Amino acid sequence: MTIGRLIARLAAILSKKRLDRELENEIAAHLELAQRDAAADGFSAEQARLAARRRFGGIEQMKEEHRDSRGVAWMDNLLRDFRYGLGSLRRTPGFTAIVVAILGLGIGANVAMFSLVDAVLLKPLPFPNPDRIVRVWEAPRPGVTNATSTLDFLDWKRMGKAFESIAAEIPLSAALTGNGDPVRLPGKAVTADYFRVFGVGAFMGRTFAPLEDQAGAGMVVVLSHAAWQTHFGGDAGILNRSAAFDGQPYQIIGVLPPGPFDRDTAQFWKPLVLGPERRSRGFHWLSVHGRLTAGVTLTQAREQMRTIQSAVRDVTPFWKRDWTIVVEPLDRLLVGDSMKRSAVVAFGAVLLVLLIACANVANLLLARGAARRKEMAIRTALGASRGRLAVQLLTEGVVLCLFGGAAGLALASLLIQAAAPVLSQSIPHTASLVIDFRVFAFAASIALGVGLLVSVLPSLQSSTADVERSLRETARGSSRAHHNLRGAIVVAEVTLSLVLVCGALLLFKSLFKLQQLETGIRMDNVITMSLSLPLPAYPTPEKAAAFYESLSGRMATVPGILQSGLSSHLPLRWIGNGEAIAVPGIPEPVKVRFKRVDPGYFGTLGIPLLAGRGIDERDRIGARRVMVINEALAGRLADVAGLNNPVGHVVRLNWPRYVATSAPEEEVEIAGIIRSERVSGPGSPDPAVVYVPLAQVPNQEIKLIVRAQSEPASIVAGIRDSLRQIDPNLPLGDVETIQQIRDRTLSGSSRPAWLIGVFASIAALLTAVGLYGVISHEVSQQRREIGIRMALGARPGDVVSQVLKKAMVLVAAGLGLGSLGALALTRVMKTLLFEVSPFDPFVLAAACAAMMLVGLLAGSAPASRAARIDPVQTLRDEG
Amino acid sequence: MSKTKTEVPRGTLDLLVLQTLATMGRLHGYALARRIEQVAGDALHLSQGSVYPALIRLQQEGWIATDWGISETNRKVKFYSLTRAGRKQLAVEVETWEKSTALVARFLEVSS
Repeated sequence: MTIGRLIARLAAILSKKRLDRELENEIAAHLELAQRDAAADGFSAEQARLAARRRFGGIEQMKEEHRDSRGVAWMDNLLRDFRYGLGSLRRTPGFTAIVVAILGLGIGANVAMFSLVDAVLLKPLPFPNPDRIVRVWEAPRPGVTNATSTLDFLDWKRMGKAFESIAAEIPLSAALTGNGDPVRLPGKAVTADYFRVFGVGAFMGRTFAPLEDQAGAGMVVVLSHAAWQTHFGGDAGILNRSAAFDGQPYQIIGVLPPGPFDRDTAQFWKPLVLGPERRSRGFHWLSVHGRLTAGVTLTQAREQMRTIQSAVRDVTPFWKRDWTIVVEPLDRLLVGDSMKRSAVVAFGAVLLVLLIACANVANLLLARGAARRKEMAIRTALGASRGRLAVQLLTEGVVLCLFGGAAGLALASLLIQAAAPVLSQSIPHTASLVIDFRVFAFAASIALGVGLLVSVLPSLQSSTADVERSLRETARGSSRAHHNLRGAIVVAEVTLSLVLVCGALLLFKSLFKLQQLETGIRMDNVITMSLSLPLPAYPTPEKAAAFYESLSGRMATVPGILQSGLSSHLPLRWIGNGEAIAVPGIPEPVKVRFKRVDPGYFGTLGIPLLAGRGIDERDRIGARRVMVINEALAGRLADVAGLNNPVGHVVRLNWPRYVATSAPEEEVEIAGIIRSERVSGPGSPDPAVVYVPLAQVPNQEIKLIVRAQSEPASIVAGIRDSLRQIDPNLPLGDVETIQQIRDRTLSGSSRPAWLIGVFASIAALLTAVGLYGVISHEVSQQRREIGIRMALGARPGDVVSQVLKKAMVLVAAGLGLGSLGALALTRVMKTLLFEVSPFDPFVLAAACAAMMLVGLLAGSAPASRAARIDPVQTLRDEG
Repeated sequence: MSKTKTEVPRGTLDLLVLQTLATMGRLHGYALARRIEQVAGDALHLSQGSVYPALIRLQQEGWIATDWGISETNRKVKFYSLTRAGRKQLAVEVETWEKSTALVARFLEVSS
């Protein structure tokens, strides 16, 4: 058949009515002409009509042949089945609603999960040629990500021919003033090629010109689309405006297009000027992204970086000569291993839910098939082929599933809307959660697949039924084999549910352990805020130190505040600054995390002093440099340097200058030891930390930590007022309770627990529905038998226990299989668990108990119905 | 087989229809059926109606085209005519037909 003919045939199906009408006309005209000719031959009118008819041949037969030769028979049939299916579903609205709801639940959860997995793991990054975007850094050891020094970056930029463009960035924040209350905006300072690396052009105006990051260039900013909308009301004349960032007027030169940059933290970008005062090789502070030149492979780029490294070896400080330069594709870095694993486990769980939903629907269709055996038998007797009947039932199933798919798509879009704000923090900014064509195609194919899966069994079963026996049995009930099949499906459901419940319980147990995790700080009524001192207003360390002092003094007067402290990093969060201390007589420097705190910090968080003293008011600029170390560092010093009592010892430490440009080594005295506070999620030991006086090493970015007498949210307004009295242009950002910070630190581990908990509950519920269906069907089949037994003296209790026993047998079989499945499957969760073994016997026992309970609940309603059977009534009905 | 009056062999009807339209030009369904009957004489038993499924098939292949006209009884009817593609197809079919009849004829000669 030619393509043209195929298209014509498909078109013919669609214009069936018109073609039929035209054929009728043609036949009528033909007969008329034939009759006229016959009459001309001398026949009477009646004889002529008959002759015309005879010579024409069978009219209906011809019409059928006409239809067959012009159309596609199977498609015609499919359409007819589709319509028939719709009709028969409309006749049983209750059944249809239940099936669509179950499928909608299963498909919806899967579609939502797919859109997440697709956005995070499958889709390429939303930039042109995303596979050419890489991150580059200098790694002291393999597997460590690190920042880059200015001079190294400039070398790479100058000599790195593998890169079409390469750019450095540092995070910053600035107070945007002039539009009502000052707001603190997170932003980035970037070198001029930054947007060319990502291949993103301006939506309005322009991005940075090639030399705009040189000293003396203008004060310009690029805004994100979201920032333009939020803070400038989407003003179309924005490019003619300037805005005050940290009190300095900046010309707005461009607005980025909506998209990935709106989901990133930064809302504005300004040029990063790498002036002479910042040119060092020892200070690592830049994040570097590059775009590989077309045709350059990752291996070639890495090779070239090695060449550059050896070229500058002579000017490289000796302590970093054995470092390596790492070039990694950006997409691989954005999605961490733990996120990947969480996504895989969650997707697995949601697939199990879908399987259970399928089992349930197959069960329902089987039950319905049993009820329709008579209908099928009659149609077989009337000449419908078994194949046709099977196909018809399949079509009905697929129609049902398409409805389920539509419901699922609706549910998924609700789920995504609800989840997007929660997830936005934990998925990379390049991923956008939307229902797009890919998700739609996934939903459609999963609905079709499910449709075929759930209706194959029932359609085979119904269509192969023996005509005669079916007609004879009438509504008596279904066969034994049929019942066994439904039982087997329920066993499978119990099996799958047990695996899910086990997984969920393991995660919850792990979550419980996490809640017990020692944080090392007092958590009650503590709230934190962040502040950023603009350089124009606070150009010197003395000014900054004076600000800290007046802020602390002011805080003491705000009603409701018990204690307050300042630090460079939030408690319970990783300390990004790393330095090294050199102990006299020890060749290897000791790597430490570097945190600046004020005199109030330890007291506010209840961190106990173990030896020496804490930070106090004496530790100002110009005074003797001191530091407090944590227990972990004291232990390290005892190990590597034999310093069993380090208090009073003097070590050498890189001591950063006020505006991060360099950190020369200085002599610092260890003044005290405090107990370690937690700075990272579970699983990693406390790092060695030095606490230096904030007043001696002032920082622009600071965190204010306040302990309130009661509910801390109530004092935020008071804090804002006091701050305004000190500096009216300084916005207060990121108000968070310590509890929220803690959840954020541990959230990577807690989110899958809730998600899989929800899935497990849905699975258990669906299983209960399936079990209920089978048991209550069985009870209604055996009314007569139960009636006879009761007439012979069985008590209601006996009947109840007999029915429940049946339910329990099914559940027990499922539990046996499920335990094996759980042991095999929960192993994949090993890395998501904290201090819980995937083979935890308590969890397995609890999950089994939960499923037994589900079985008892599902069986109890049919059991009590059985016990209420009136023997006289049943015998009369069926006798 | 002793019957001399044959049913139209499958596939042959297409050839007859194309050939008839090629010689007669534009025809409506009844005239076409009559013409085939006339040419075949007693050699062929044709139900007149069976031209219609053949016509729709040929039309879908693009070998014949239809337009509307008025019949001798003043009724609006479809007229069929050969398209350029149909003319080519006719040549192909005639050639195929001649080849196969020649082949069969040779066999019959040899075996007789």
